[in-house]
Amino acid sequence: MAPILPPMPPDSRPLEQLIAACAQGDHAALAQVYERTHMHLFGVAARMLRHEAAAEDVLQEAFVSIWKSAASYRTVVNGQALQPMTWLIAIVRNKALDALRVQGRRREAHLGDDTADFTDAASGRAAPSAMDMLSSATAAMHIEVCMNTLDSGQRQSLALAYYQGLSHSEVAAQMGAPLGSVKAWIRRGLAKLKTCLASHGTEG
Amino acid sequence: MKYAHPELIDHLASAYVLGTLAGPARRRFERLQRDRADVQLAVAEWQARLGPLSHAVPPQRPSPKVWAAIAARTRPMPPGAQARAPWAGWLRATGFGAAGLIVGALATTTLLLGAPGLLFTADQVALRTGEKLPASYVGLLTDAQGNGKLLVSSLRHGRTAMLKVIDPITPPATGRLVLWALPTDGPAFVLANVPTSGTALAPMPDTSERLLSKVTRLVVTVETDAAPQTPGTALYSGNCAKLW
Repeated sequence: MAPILPPMPPDSRPLEQLIAACAQGDHAALAQVYERTHMHLFGVAARMLRHEAAAEDVLQEAFVSIWKSAASYRTVVNGQALQPMTWLIAIVRNKALDALRVQGRRREAHLGDDTADFTDAASGRAAPSAMDMLSSATAAMHIEVCMNTLDSGQRQSLALAYYQGLSHSEVAAQMGAPLGSVKAWIRRGLAKLKTCLASHGTEG
Repeated sequence: MKYAHPELIDHLASAYVLGTLAGPARRRFERLQRDRADVQLAVAEWQARLGPLSHAVPPQRPSPKVWAAIAARTRPMPPGAQARAPWAGWLRATGFGAAGLIVGALATTTLLLGAPGLLFTADQVALRTGEKLPASYVGLLTDAQGNGKLLVSSLRHGRTAMLKVIDPITPPATGRLVLWALPTDGPAFVLANVPTSGTALAPMPDTSERLLSKVTRLVVTVETDAAPQTPGTALYSGNCAKLW
């Protein structure tokens, strides 16, 4: 595999300082941010768009946006540290959601099983389902207690909306559930999650 | 739709971050986010709650062409290169010469002067035309040597304070850095915790007008108590001024 970037001198600055340097016009800092994060961010975009070329366009647009809006990154919000990776992920997800909406929801016609039509491009293996990823993430975040307060409909609808960028109606189609139920599941699921995370002191 | 209720803002922020807020509602919410610190705060809080869910997504390697494209769009151009910008040649090739650019600029200016409401909110128009100033409270805190360390600001009637560290701060060995407001007619009160770098957005329990109109001084202290009642020795201090 060809190197993504030309060899760069080691830069030990943490990600938040690199983003601050981007805001000052330091292009080498942007290259470092890309080097450290692009595979994860591309994975997020590819998972949502299910199309490599479209995900690459999203990654490109996201990094141009990161370069232009680096000064708007807040290290602390309401007393909680906002991790730089969280900020970067939010930018990539926003660009991916825009791209999904622009595509005119072409996927609607062939929304099938969650895992059957998507494989990991690098390994060729079937990618984990949205529910698999939700389980892994909640275990890694040690918030199983909070996720267990949600019923299965709430968990599944949140997983499909978050990891695949599906709209309410697409989640309803995928789950074979009424649209009204899906909207209620998502709304109540988010509210429960917020309350539980706050009570367990695991916000941020 | 009214956007005054914190519950509504929180609900919209959750749907925005999850991605289920779509279409014109998503665009309206993004415009709101640009103008309002409380909306930015609600969005950032939901990003902090949901963002870590993405860590379970398997990483994938994109084509090396992606970075090349990003670099081409972001790398600062060397001096003189702007005159040879590729789009200039493209414009010429497609029949848009300097005259076309001038006509376009004139049309845009006419539109901005004649109907600014098409492009900006009423507040933005007022700010741009000088009818309204960004009324706010601002404080610059310095260390004992007079070096600027922290800039504090809050929009008039705003419910958030923005703290921008303008010179990196060494974290205290124990405790945390706390920003205090010192009113002329009452006891000092805590405004926010202070970051050691970057910019922080902190909610306030009331509007800046009610909290800060009598505040003339701001200080930063190191506190170990979870809820300190009076400020300790000031590490940084500065005046708080109202800008109209």
